[in-house]
Amino acid sequence: MSEITEAPHGDLLVMLRHAPHGGLWLREALDLALVGAAFGQSVSLLLMGDGVWALLQGQGPGPLGQKGSQSTFEMLEMYDIERLYVDVDSLEARGLTRDDLLLPVIGVSTPELSTVLAGHRQIFNF
Amino acid sequence: MATTQATRYIAVEGRDIGLDPEGFVVELTAWTPAVAEALAAEEGRELTPEHWEVLEVLRAFYARYENAPAMRPLVKAVSQALGPDKGRSLHLMRLFPDSPAKVGARLAGLPKPTNCL
Amino acid sequence: MLLHLLNRAPSSSSVHQDVLRAMREEDGLMLIEDGVFGAVSAQVQHFPGLEGRLFALREDLESRGLAGRCDARVIIVDMDGFVALTEDAQRTVSWF
Repeated sequence: MSEITEAPHGDLLVMLRHAPHGGLWLREALDLALVGAAFGQSVSLLLMGDGVWALLQGQGPGPLGQKGSQSTFEMLEMYDIERLYVDVDSLEARGLTRDDLLLPVIGVSTPELSTVLAGHRQIFNF
Repeated sequence: MATTQATRYIAVEGRDIGLDPEGFVVELTAWTPAVAEALAAEEGRELTPEHWEVLEVLRAFYARYENAPAMRPLVKAVSQALGPDKGRSLHLMRLFPDSPAKVGARLAGLPKPTNCL
Repeated sequence: MLLHLLNRAPSSSSVHQDVLRAMREEDGLMLIEDGVFGAVSAQVQHFPGLEGRLFALREDLESRGLAGRCDARVIIVDMDGFVALTEDAQRTVSWF
């Protein structure tokens, strides 16, 4: 059963496909999403592949005190970024369920992925 | 962790508070309400209770999200905390002319909002 | 049509699997940079069902010595062809 209750649509789709902490992709992706939203664009996020690790509960700062991204994810709603799509196959492949995640998400099945991509005017893949 | 060097100092209650080139407090823990008063006075502003309640919202936002808000989320946060009458751009523009998100963050002792150009 | 760009070899990264899952029937896939390693006959099975819409960039094939090893199921395009493809596409999506 699909969890997508309205056709995916929006100005920007920001795809997160890299794990947190290993590089700057996640932070750059979130910055782009926030800038877009601050300028009044309607922004959706899609977490896929190792990007799903970014929403795992219980993350802390890095060994050198690098900021975690949990507080930034929680801030998304203040920027009216409310569509947080997650590829359910990527979750399952990593032994994760919704209960392991920081925030409520919209699960996307493989056949629905292309619908999410097609519904946005611009796509940024990180 | 200070990410920028202080380029000038402002004396408040016998302490020298370091400011970055844009006038933001470098050490977030150095901020006190008196620092806000001093920064406002430098710009010829006087802080009223209406200013202070917004500065409190800004500080609470930073405490929760570790980021200073851009204009849109600031409006939303003020609306949630102080009611829809105050959660309007117009009200915030009147209190903090030019750029409420930037001016407010500076007075509240927060870093510059990163996603606010 | 969305044009997906892939610059990783299927032998070194699993990102091609994510691309394939995100593609529609009408979308195209362009292999560039190290992505062109997926165009050789021994690797092209990683991209099933893409006849007529699987492309590889000639310049990247040639620089890696793969021009003669590219599978017949892959359409070779040069930089001009690549530009024309991106103009045909509603938008491009880069995968890396």
